[in-house]
Amino acid sequence: MKLLVVEDDATTGSYIARGLREEGHTVDLVTDGRDGLVQATGGGYDVMVVDRMLPEVDGMTLVKTLRAAGNRTPVLFLTSLGSVDDRIDGLNAGGDDYLTKPFAFGELSARVSALARRPQAVEQETVLRAADLEMNLITRKVTRGGQEIDLLPREFSILEHLLRRKGRVQTRTMLLESVWDISFDPMTNVVETHISRLRAKVDKPFEPDLIQTVRGAGYRIDG
Amino acid sequence: MSRLLRSTPLRLALGLVLLFSVVSLLSLATSYVITQRSFEDTIREDLRQDMTGFRAAPSGAALAQLVEAEAAETDPNRLVLSYYAANRQHYGNAFIARDDEGYHIVSLGEDRAGLPGRYLALTARLYGGQLTIARSRAEIDALRGVFLNILALSLLPTVLIAVSGGLYFARRSARQVAVIGDDLDRLTTGTLSARIGDTPGWGEDLAQIARKIDQMARAQEASVETLRQVSSDIAHDLKTPIQRVALHLDDLAERHALDSEAQEKVAEARAELEDIVSVFHALLQIAQVEAGTPRSRFATVDLAQLCRTFHEVFEPSAAENGQSLTLDLPADADTIPVTGDRNLLGQAVANLIENAMRHTPSGTAITLGASNGPHPVLWVADTGPGIPEPERGLVLQRLYRLDRSRGTPGSGLGLSLVEVVASLHEARLELSDKAPGLRVSLRF
Repeated sequence: MKLLVVEDDATTGSYIARGLREEGHTVDLVTDGRDGLVQATGGGYDVMVVDRMLPEVDGMTLVKTLRAAGNRTPVLFLTSLGSVDDRIDGLNAGGDDYLTKPFAFGELSARVSALARRPQAVEQETVLRAADLEMNLITRKVTRGGQEIDLLPREFSILEHLLRRKGRVQTRTMLLESVWDISFDPMTNVVETHISRLRAKVDKPFEPDLIQTVRGAGYRIDG
Repeated sequence: MSRLLRSTPLRLALGLVLLFSVVSLLSLATSYVITQRSFEDTIREDLRQDMTGFRAAPSGAALAQLVEAEAAETDPNRLVLSYYAANRQHYGNAFIARDDEGYHIVSLGEDRAGLPGRYLALTARLYGGQLTIARSRAEIDALRGVFLNILALSLLPTVLIAVSGGLYFARRSARQVAVIGDDLDRLTTGTLSARIGDTPGWGEDLAQIARKIDQMARAQEASVETLRQVSSDIAHDLKTPIQRVALHLDDLAERHALDSEAQEKVAEARAELEDIVSVFHALLQIAQVEAGTPRSRFATVDLAQLCRTFHEVFEPSAAENGQSLTLDLPADADTIPVTGDRNLLGQAVANLIENAMRHTPSGTAITLGASNGPHPVLWVADTGPGIPEPERGLVLQRLYRLDRSRGTPGSGLGLSLVEVVASLHEARLELSDKAPGLRVSLRF
């Protein structure tokens, strides 16, 4: 993917750029809003990572300007504040996702991938599959190797979320947001506990393990 | 109405009416007394002259004739004459027998003359007999009625006008005070853009207060804006280095072949950094909520649904801790709507559950619930050790930790955030003893 990173802090910017390049992306890095606007208008980016506080032109104005000009490139905002208001303001300005500093690189990477491959329209799939695992969305039946697995509604939701994004890392906060609509990270490791319960039903009695832990980032189901 | 009675304009009006009445009463009473005296003096003078006339009679017989003649001519309602001659023969148009000389007040209503009213009489001994001349005091007695009429005519309209005027101004000022009160309410609940604005027709005193309040609100709004700017600058300035440290730690862990001891150190440093970030986040968030999260973002939040969601999210973690988390919702209400910010209320619930999980031993039963009614309540209760009464107020202080909680994780800011979220929603935060255990409620 071709990515644009607009971040005024050199250390953070270069670290992000290096990390994303190592994942095989082409990354352009600029350090102020005006350059960001020029680069972005040049176009051709799959995703942009934009800090909200930038010299010259701030991140919000940058994205508003782009959107006004008809540029629809997905934008991930980085912010120091992270209050709900800022989040809502950012999304209203035309941002697609929002990440509060400090973040782990894994979280950023997972969110960039999610933005690039936003599900186009609603896929009318009725059965989700991964290896020998099958989830029927209509009958709400889950089987593995033909054996039925009894899941609680919340476990079903988490599994569905991971299956729909097969092959992509889903972080704890992404799961909290999409399964429960919670946009803050509780101190308790709630997601880990849910995943371990889900694993006990989906993975423990079977081989191989489907739900992978991606260190420093989150979870993934490989197809 | 009782509030209206205690209002300044009405009290002022009533006070003035009272003062005016007392002064009028005093002056009327004085003039009544003076007039009465002068009337009485006139009558005495008349009586004295009458008597002088009769003394001029040369003999008792002549006096008797004179009395008879005079009595026949005068109206007994005005003047009566009574003369007992030396031989006890009576002359005149009334019977007044007095042994003592001088002035008396007599009533003739009871004797056979049957004359109404009171008379002022003068008695004198003349030619062995006794002559009494009495003039009616009807004019003096009528005076009282006249004065009472004057009193009624002058005071009543004044009192009526003053009281109704006072009521009118009291109502008007009550309305204006209500406008000021509403504005202050909005200001205290975070709507810093609230202004009283133009005050046409207001009294200068209240209008001036209104202008001063608006002036204060503008200053407050400006300083909150500055504070917001400062806190966002601080956030930015501090988070950038924190971000760098986080990334350096990432880098260390990912790229360098570290021995297990070094890896452990990196993990510890990451955990410490996470603690720093969480305290920082919490402080920043408290400051932002206190600075007044716009209520325009408020929407209907279903407390029942909120409880269900957070019960679902936390139940496995509580179970892993050896505690139970149960849901207690009223059977008759599917939804418990309140107006608020779902995210902030959610965070408050999460903080309360986390507090309960953190500060109670394994085996504790934690209950999350809500109840319906005109004032819905959201609560988290546990069967743990509770908080000693003297410390219950203190736990709301920023960064306060109970002695026994020093060893447990947490920033000491969880309950502070709950408190500011509660006050943003005009909800009361209550900590009560469940004996055993603690119950924390948000009463909307």
